[in-house]
Amino acid sequence: MSSAATRKPLPLKIALWAFVTIWLLMAAFPFLWTLWGSFKVELDFFSIADWTNAITGANTERTHGSTFTGAGYDGAWVQEDFWRNVINTTFVCIFVVCTSLTIGTLGGYALSRSGFKYVFWLLITALIFRAIPPITLVSGYLPVFFDWNVWGFLPTAIIVLVAINQPFTLWMLHSFFESIPKELDESAKVDGCTQFQAFRRVIIPVMWPGVITTGLFSFLLAYNDFAVTSMILNEGNRTMIPAIAAFMGTTQTEGNVMFAVAAVVSATAPLFVMVLFFQRQIVSGLTAGAVKG
Amino acid sequence: MAEIQLRNISKRWGAFVGVDNFDLTIADKEFLVLLGPSGCGKTTTMRMIAGLEDATEGDILVDGQRVNDLEPKDRDVAMVFQSYALYPNLNVYENIRFPLRVRGIDPSTHDEKVRRASAMVELDEFLHRKPAELSGGQRQRVALARAIVREPNVFLMDEPLSNLDAKLRVSTRAQIKNLSHELAVTTVYVTHDQIEAMTLADRVVVMKQGVVQQVGSPTEIYDKPANDFVASFIGSPAMNLMSGVMSGGTFSTEYTEIQNLSAPDGPVTLGFRAEDAQVVDSGGQINAPIYTMELLGDATMVTVRIGGALVSVKADKSYRAEIEDMVSIHVPSEQCHLFDAQTGARLGD
Repeated sequence: MSSAATRKPLPLKIALWAFVTIWLLMAAFPFLWTLWGSFKVELDFFSIADWTNAITGANTERTHGSTFTGAGYDGAWVQEDFWRNVINTTFVCIFVVCTSLTIGTLGGYALSRSGFKYVFWLLITALIFRAIPPITLVSGYLPVFFDWNVWGFLPTAIIVLVAINQPFTLWMLHSFFESIPKELDESAKVDGCTQFQAFRRVIIPVMWPGVITTGLFSFLLAYNDFAVTSMILNEGNRTMIPAIAAFMGTTQTEGNVMFAVAAVVSATAPLFVMVLFFQRQIVSGLTAGAVKG
Repeated sequence: MAEIQLRNISKRWGAFVGVDNFDLTIADKEFLVLLGPSGCGKTTTMRMIAGLEDATEGDILVDGQRVNDLEPKDRDVAMVFQSYALYPNLNVYENIRFPLRVRGIDPSTHDEKVRRASAMVELDEFLHRKPAELSGGQRQRVALARAIVREPNVFLMDEPLSNLDAKLRVSTRAQIKNLSHELAVTTVYVTHDQIEAMTLADRVVVMKQGVVQQVGSPTEIYDKPANDFVASFIGSPAMNLMSGVMSGGTFSTEYTEIQNLSAPDGPVTLGFRAEDAQVVDSGGQINAPIYTMELLGDATMVTVRIGGALVSVKADKSYRAEIEDMVSIHVPSEQCHLFDAQTGARLGD
C-alpha cells in the first residue's frame, strides 16, 4: 500500500503518533474539562481545597445527591431565560451572514470583473478599515446611536457587525472571484446571458465553496462577537456572549458562575456541529475542468 | 444568412493601438481566418465582433445592421474559447443545453438538439460526465457542440486547437473543416498557426501589430505574399529572404547572383521557397558552404548561411553531404519574389 518513499521507520512512527495524541489531548482538554465541569457545582469545579473534587464531584453529591447535576443548565436556560439570548444570537447571525454575503458577492464580483485601477485602492481602503480594532469604531458609533435613539436594539448591532465584517467578506470573495476565469462570464454572455444572469447561473454555482467559507467566517464573527454586542445591546436584547459575560460578572450568588459554564457549553456545541457539517463543503478545486488544466 | 461588415474599426487602449483601421467584408458562409503572431490584434478583432470588446472607432454590421451597441447575447454569435470555458458544475449534456435554456427556447426541442450537436462532434458516450472528467480534446468538442447547438448566424473560434497536442490538433482540425462544410455558417477563426489557416480558410487575413498585411485566399497568400512579413510568416519552412542589391536585372549578395529579374536598381529583399529551388552539381545561382543538413524523411533540407540569414532548400531524400561542403543551388528567377528593402512591400507584378 505505502510506497518505499512514504514508508517510515518504526521509532519515527511512534514519535509521530505520540505527538499527535498529545497535541490532540492538549487541544481538546479545555473543552472536555468545561463540559465535565458544567455538570458539577461551583464548589467542585472551582474547588480551592482539592482540585480532584472537580472530577469526583464530592460537593455535587452532597448538594444534589448525585455526582452529576443539571443545575447549571437549569439555572441558565430556565431561571435566566438563556434561550432568549440564543434566539437573539440566531437572529443576529442570520441577518449578518445574509447581508454581508449579499453585498460581498455582488461587490466582490463587480470588483473582480472591473478593469479600473481604483479597485485596488478600494480594496486597500477596506483592508485599513478592517485593521482598525472594532472597539474604536463602537465608541465612535455610540453617541450617534444615543442621539438617534437606536441604541440597544438588535438591528443596530446587526448593522455595526455587517459594517465591521464587510471589508473582510469583500476581500475574501473578491479573491475567490478572481480565481474564476473571466472566459466563463464571456462564454455565458455569448451563450445568451446578461451580466447578472452570468453571475447567477454560471459564476455563483462555481463559487459555492467560496460563499460557504466566507459565510462561515462571517457567521463566526457575529456569533462570537463581544465588543460590539456588549456595548450596543441593552439587557433585554443580549446575544449569548454578552449574556455569558453577565453571568460571570454577578458573583454574589453561588450558582451564577455555573450558569456561565453551562451557557458556554451550550454556545460551543452548535459550533462543533456546524464546522463538522461544513468541513466537507469547504472544498476548493470545484472549478477544475472549466478551462484547460 | 450573415454577412459581416467591419468598417474601419479600431481598438485603442490609451496610446496603445490594438487594432488599426480594420476594414473588411466577410461574405455569408465564408470561413475567414485571422492569422498573425501573438499581440497582432486578431483576437481583439474577433472579440469586437462578439461584443466582448467595444470598438473605439468604426462600425460593425451584421446583415447590414449596426451591432456596435448590442450586447453579446443579442448578436446571435457563438464562440469557442481557447480555454474551452465550459461550465464546471454542469455535465456535458447540460453544458451543451445551456444556450438553449438561457435563451428560452422551447424545452421540448432541447433533447433532440443537444443529441444532434453531440453526435456531430462524437460525444454521445460522455453526455453524463463533468468537464473535469474529460480530456482536452473532448472538452474542446463539448465547446464546439455548445456553439453549434442553437444554430447561430456567426461562429467565432479563438485558437480552438492551440491547447491540444500535435496529433489531436490534426484530427480536430479535420473535424472542424468537415463541420463547417456541413453547417455552412459564416465563421471567423483566429489562429497563430499558418497551417491551420492554410487548411481551413476560404480567405485569410494576415495581421501584424494591429494592421492588416494581406487579405486573400490561402493560395494567393502563399504564392503572392504582399510583403516580406507575410512571406516570412506563411509556409513551412517560411520563405527564404535575402537582402542584396539589384543592378541591371541581376540580384547579388554574398555567394549569390540571380539574373533575369525585373526590378529597379538598388537594395532589395529577395525571397524564394525551399521547394522552388534545387540542389545541382554546379552552375547554380547560389554557391555556398553548407551550414546544416536536416533529414525530414520525404526530403533533405539543406541550409546555407547568406549574409546572416539562413536559406533552406529541399533536396532529394537521398542527398547527402557534409557540413562545410560547398553546395550549388539553382534558383529559377521566375520563382523569386522581390520586396522593397525599406518598406518590405512586394515589387513587380
